[in-house]
Amino acid sequence: MTPESYLIETLKVLVFPGFTFIFILALFYEWLDRKFYAKLQNRVGPLYAGPLGILQPLADFIKLLSKEDIVPKGVDRILFTATPLFSLTLSIFATLLLPIFSYKGILSFEGDLVIAVVLLTFLCIITFFAGIASYNRFAIIGAERSFLQLIGYEVPLMISIVSVALNARSLTIQNIVLSQKGIWYILGPNILGFIVFLFAAQAELERIPFDLPEAEQEIIAGWNVDYSGRRLAMFRLAKNIELVFLCGLAVTLFLGGPLGPVVPGFEPFLFTIYFIIKSIFVLAILTIVRALFARLRIDQIVSLSWKYLLPLAIIQFLIVRLIV
Amino acid sequence: MSTFDIPIGPQHPALPEPLLLKLEVEGETVVGVDFDVSYMHRGIEKLLETKTYFQGLPLVERICGICNAAHGLCYTLNVEKLYDKEIPPRAQYLRVIVEELSRIHSHLLWLGVAAFEIGFNTMFMYTWRDREHVMDMLEAITGNRVTTEYSQIGGVRRDITPELAEKLLKTMDVVEERTKYYIKVALTEPTIAKRTQGVGYLSPEDAKATCSVGPVIRASGIKFDVRADDPYAAHDEVPFNVITYDSCDVFGRVVVRAQELLECVNMIRYALKNLPSGPFRIKLPMKPNAGEALTRVEAPRGELLHYTLCEGTPKPYRYKVRTPTLANLGALRVMLTSKGRYVVNIGDVPIIYGSIDPCICCTARVQFIDVKKGKTWTWTLDEIRGMSKKVKA
Repeated sequence: MTPESYLIETLKVLVFPGFTFIFILALFYEWLDRKFYAKLQNRVGPLYAGPLGILQPLADFIKLLSKEDIVPKGVDRILFTATPLFSLTLSIFATLLLPIFSYKGILSFEGDLVIAVVLLTFLCIITFFAGIASYNRFAIIGAERSFLQLIGYEVPLMISIVSVALNARSLTIQNIVLSQKGIWYILGPNILGFIVFLFAAQAELERIPFDLPEAEQEIIAGWNVDYSGRRLAMFRLAKNIELVFLCGLAVTLFLGGPLGPVVPGFEPFLFTIYFIIKSIFVLAILTIVRALFARLRIDQIVSLSWKYLLPLAIIQFLIVRLIV
Repeated sequence: MSTFDIPIGPQHPALPEPLLLKLEVEGETVVGVDFDVSYMHRGIEKLLETKTYFQGLPLVERICGICNAAHGLCYTLNVEKLYDKEIPPRAQYLRVIVEELSRIHSHLLWLGVAAFEIGFNTMFMYTWRDREHVMDMLEAITGNRVTTEYSQIGGVRRDITPELAEKLLKTMDVVEERTKYYIKVALTEPTIAKRTQGVGYLSPEDAKATCSVGPVIRASGIKFDVRADDPYAAHDEVPFNVITYDSCDVFGRVVVRAQELLECVNMIRYALKNLPSGPFRIKLPMKPNAGEALTRVEAPRGELLHYTLCEGTPKPYRYKVRTPTLANLGALRVMLTSKGRYVVNIGDVPIIYGSIDPCICCTARVQFIDVKKGKTWTWTLDEIRGMSKKVKA
């Protein structure tokens, strides 16, 4: 490799579509989510920082970084310090797998879809450890709930992803994207899988109606009740990056990834635009779901997943199996 | 499985009231509950004894911000019983109008809070927006949004002009339309049904045994409404239906409150159309006659009770207030305890607690009860001072 290619690869990771781009996108999506949610509720939402409050998430992030960092007595110090870092690192790592400006992500290898799924589960397990580490009653209940919820939505999520992989006959994200050149999987036989995936994504992101691990009316802030200052800032950023990742994964698996009509020579630019437009569409669905429902109870979530989501996912799998 | 205690309150995002709920939980199931309401003792009853009856009204209105109209009305009706004077019928009708307006704003507020407790923030925002119409009307009629002090001893403070009546009727159309929409949402939205049906069960027997009041007892299918049972102001002339529902759960309380909104709208319309002419206030002397008076009023949260003992001086010898929340706390304990097949989850606690529309600040009393010996006593201020000196030394 020449020095130039080293430089380009480094810039890819650090600037575009790597860390900086993902960071900006995460804050932008949080703003979009908040603004749209506010519009649905007849409010104005963030308004003062920057035009239409677009800098509000950044302002919140900086403010949290500058706040006092409190470590309560009796916490497990190692876990208490490590979990925010791990949460942020893993979510950024996961976004590197997304194909944003070409058919493949910065990281691309045989079977990388498996890694993406494993990372999703890891993020939930880190939530659990974060709750356990703070030895707070509310945090422990929040941690328990996040695990119970995982038991509920994990299996349908896996099956819906596997049916896409089966359709593409590959576990590599690049091949899945390429196989959607003709027709996107959401328009193809995978519409049920898309619905299951969205529900699971909502649960993974702990948003209404599945925001039990941090239900403020019940257990205050749940698993992150004891975190403050920069640790909380990291958790929040990690959550936003996870939002980008899950929207991106939905786009990749069901909406044809960054594909679209292209002008030769402008592919990276156009692909990025298509990716953002499609993932904003997914984000809008997630936000509407968040505004439309009340929070379910933990037993109701688990029974909903096993009674309705799992059969839906299995039907999806069988449909794909019959076609392929 | 071992149990452990979870404290909810006195500082908690779901309960903006100084109440401590000590929950004993097994995993997610609540097996026992204990509560403490005495974080906010304001000494209002004592303070009332130092003021004349006419000076006491602004203080009484501040017992509760949300049902201030009910407190003011109850106070004035109570004091007027000590005089042998006929209050003008126009004043009585105007009192009903403002009382029902404040009931609408309280119930809309509660619908929003209940939606918030189950995480339905969108409904919370919408009901509070529509509540603003009612608040604006309250301001136009009384001059104040919250502590209205509309009902005065001897009548009301202001009259309603025909233009204002016209505006009020128009507002009622808006409120009626929005209320019908909320009833539709509450009855058809699947997640609301899932979170409220079968939750916070209170059987009619328990409701009677714990002396619960207001929408809580009406949602258990018992017709108990002071406006119908013991009419005051103009309630014997303004027709209305007592709304009941027999599901005995939180869902029933939502339905009862939502249907009552429509009743309030109709009552206001009727009262405006049949508003008697004549004076709206008469002047009464400073000194009432010696005697006792006890008045009940149906506040938005339930039966409100005021009692006074007068020795013929301008100041009360004793004034006593029993707020609806205090009456409903017994029912709350029944609703929060799992029994047999009825299971209370931690997630249900906020909505069950919210379903009695609690107002703890109105409730705190200093009274000590020794449960084992069955003894009750109170401490005077001097005794408490003496004790604090002991602790310091």
